[in-house]
Amino acid sequence: MDYKIIMPVLSDTMDKGKLVRWRVHKGDMVHKGDVIAEVESDKAIMEVQSFKDGVVKKLLVKEGDEVPVKAPIAIIDTEAEMAQTEQQKQPEIVQHPKEQSTSTQKPKAALKEPTPTAAVPPVIEELLQTPAPKLAEGDATPAAKKRAAELGIDIKGLQAEGKLPKPAHLKEIETEAFRHYFTPKALRLLQEYQLDAKLFTLDHKINAAEVENYIKEYNIPKTVSLSKNRIAVMKNVQNAATKPVYFIFEEFDIKEYEGIKLTSLLIKKLATAMQKHPLTRAKLEGTTLKIYPHSNISVAVAKGDELYMVVCKRAEEKSLQEIDAWVRGLKERTFTADELTGSTFGISNLGMFGVQRFSAMINQSDVGIAAFGAVQNGKISVTFTFDHRVLNGVDAALFVHDAKEIFKGDDNV
Amino acid sequence: MLYREALNRAIDEMMAADESIVILGEDVGRYGGSYRVSEGLFAKYGPKRVIDTPIAELSIVGNAIGMAIAGLRPIAEIMTINFSLLAMDQIVNHAAKFRYMSGGKMTIPLTIRMPGGVSRQLAAQHSESYETLYSAIPGLIVLAASNATYAYYGLKAAIALNDPVVFLEHELLYPLEMEFKEVDTFDPFKAEIVKVGKDLTIITYLKMRYDVLEAVPKIEDELGISIEVIDLNSLRPLDMKTIAASVQKTKRVVLVEEDHKTGGYGAEVIAKISEELFYSLDAPPLRIAGEDVPIPYNRTLELASIPTPDKIAQKIIQWGRKNGL
Repeated sequence: MDYKIIMPVLSDTMDKGKLVRWRVHKGDMVHKGDVIAEVESDKAIMEVQSFKDGVVKKLLVKEGDEVPVKAPIAIIDTEAEMAQTEQQKQPEIVQHPKEQSTSTQKPKAALKEPTPTAAVPPVIEELLQTPAPKLAEGDATPAAKKRAAELGIDIKGLQAEGKLPKPAHLKEIETEAFRHYFTPKALRLLQEYQLDAKLFTLDHKINAAEVENYIKEYNIPKTVSLSKNRIAVMKNVQNAATKPVYFIFEEFDIKEYEGIKLTSLLIKKLATAMQKHPLTRAKLEGTTLKIYPHSNISVAVAKGDELYMVVCKRAEEKSLQEIDAWVRGLKERTFTADELTGSTFGISNLGMFGVQRFSAMINQSDVGIAAFGAVQNGKISVTFTFDHRVLNGVDAALFVHDAKEIFKGDDNV
Repeated sequence: MLYREALNRAIDEMMAADESIVILGEDVGRYGGSYRVSEGLFAKYGPKRVIDTPIAELSIVGNAIGMAIAGLRPIAEIMTINFSLLAMDQIVNHAAKFRYMSGGKMTIPLTIRMPGGVSRQLAAQHSESYETLYSAIPGLIVLAASNATYAYYGLKAAIALNDPVVFLEHELLYPLEMEFKEVDTFDPFKAEIVKVGKDLTIITYLKMRYDVLEAVPKIEDELGISIEVIDLNSLRPLDMKTIAASVQKTKRVVLVEEDHKTGGYGAEVIAKISEELFYSLDAPPLRIAGEDVPIPYNRTLELASIPTPDKIAQKIIQWGRKNGL
């Protein structure tokens, strides 16, 4: 039998290969796995092996020749070797290319005949040759029986005990197996880290420590679904990042009052300043501005991992004590949708954490936000972020100037 | 782009590029085709390349085969697949076998377009889906175009192929406006993964693609699962590679076809899956197909005889609950 060795396809982009060097001569005996030639693809030089035993009958190309992939390059006579070695069925390196049309009718230049790449030859012969998988006994689907055999799960026995349903499916087998091989804590870890239980050798009870070791060794991240609040914050800040903003950095005098939270004071003072500057009470809608009479201020409130911009409405009408009561109530309750909308300016205060100075992102459709740092020697640093579409530098400067004066005095307190 | 426009564009562009391409069939010329697929081509290419034939299907295909042997690249239109039975001998005994009988010396670069399927009240003799017949014939290629993109690229590929292609279209699709996607590389024999999912594979083709896609959200919602949808595109050869990858992932398969269940094309697909992917299956495969009756004329009965989105959803939900989903 003649066995043709073909130019192998060494990369997706390779359509030709260069025969660099023959390693055999005509008449040489070759064994399965022997290197017979070196070929150069568009990427590298590789060795070509024979997949059958035999004698080199003919070398079809010369060294240095370029030939298309899948073209025969040598013929091995397998009969010559047959007498000594038992014929072995070996997969060939590449399937033979689809039968080429020898038709006299060639397609015209404009046409390119498609070749079936997705179509695969029948695999029944191949299936018949591969041994059937080991299957567990019991009433279960084929996939479940196969998996149960792999995992050492006795479907029949467990069904007799009523521990597995009839018929059993893959999911039930795996759940059962994992319960069997993992401690409850280890199973929880698998879930938290979205680890496939198949990563572990299932021949002993696996505890949390073993799973933890795996997590550390391979630096597996824990997957945490984002909360609704986090997704809302992301949307809000992403929107804020598209706004054309600029900053004004200031330092205000501040006099704190016994029994009043600093945030309450900041809200009150800012609300008063906003009354003098209509643009800070404005909302941009298309090509119009909606200017509201009240100072409605969104206040950044952190609750655990969550962040809310809660709106203190009509802040200019409220007394400092009323605002303070409102601020103190924030930690204890949840917020309605109405309480989270309707503001035009924001406040964020990180001073209590010792932060000297920072800048904040503008909330939703607000036109600006004031970020307050820590109080030091009767002074508080503040960074204003303004939406330039609504307030020009001068508008903002006048507002900040008035706010600075208001912070100095005892007005409205 | 309308589905019929995609087909028209494919034929037009191929005819412009290669003058050996001709079309022939009943009313394809002056009338522009029963479903307006060849509209405008008669005026553009004239009666020698756009040929109106008598009502004689055997002669349409017979003539087309003769043209192909003599060096042309004909596109024959059979008004509906129901009438193709008259041309069966030419298609099966001649077009499909010629390359083989001539020892590969001659090929038949012929495309036979056939609209089919259940339309609206065309009654039993005009409502069949005979893809199962042609898909069983060695020597034929059978393509089924469910959408404008495949209609355009698939038909072009069919015309370019050197072997006879039965190109199936569905009568209800012609006037539909569809999204058209430009593609760089096109393989007519590759199935399309219309939607990615992980718990269940639904295999379908032609018009049922749309009924399936309509049913899918309801099934996913009811069973709390995610569904993968495959549109076969090519019925012969069948893209088992795409099917295998999907079924090995989801472990469950449902086939939805409009044809009668007994001996329908879906039976072949499910048989192959059972043979080749048995140990991947975590549930018995389900076939949702037309009833084993001649398609009724009465609209209510007509709809009762074929799968609809509601029936598809209902059957899969019931099957899923029973089989551990």
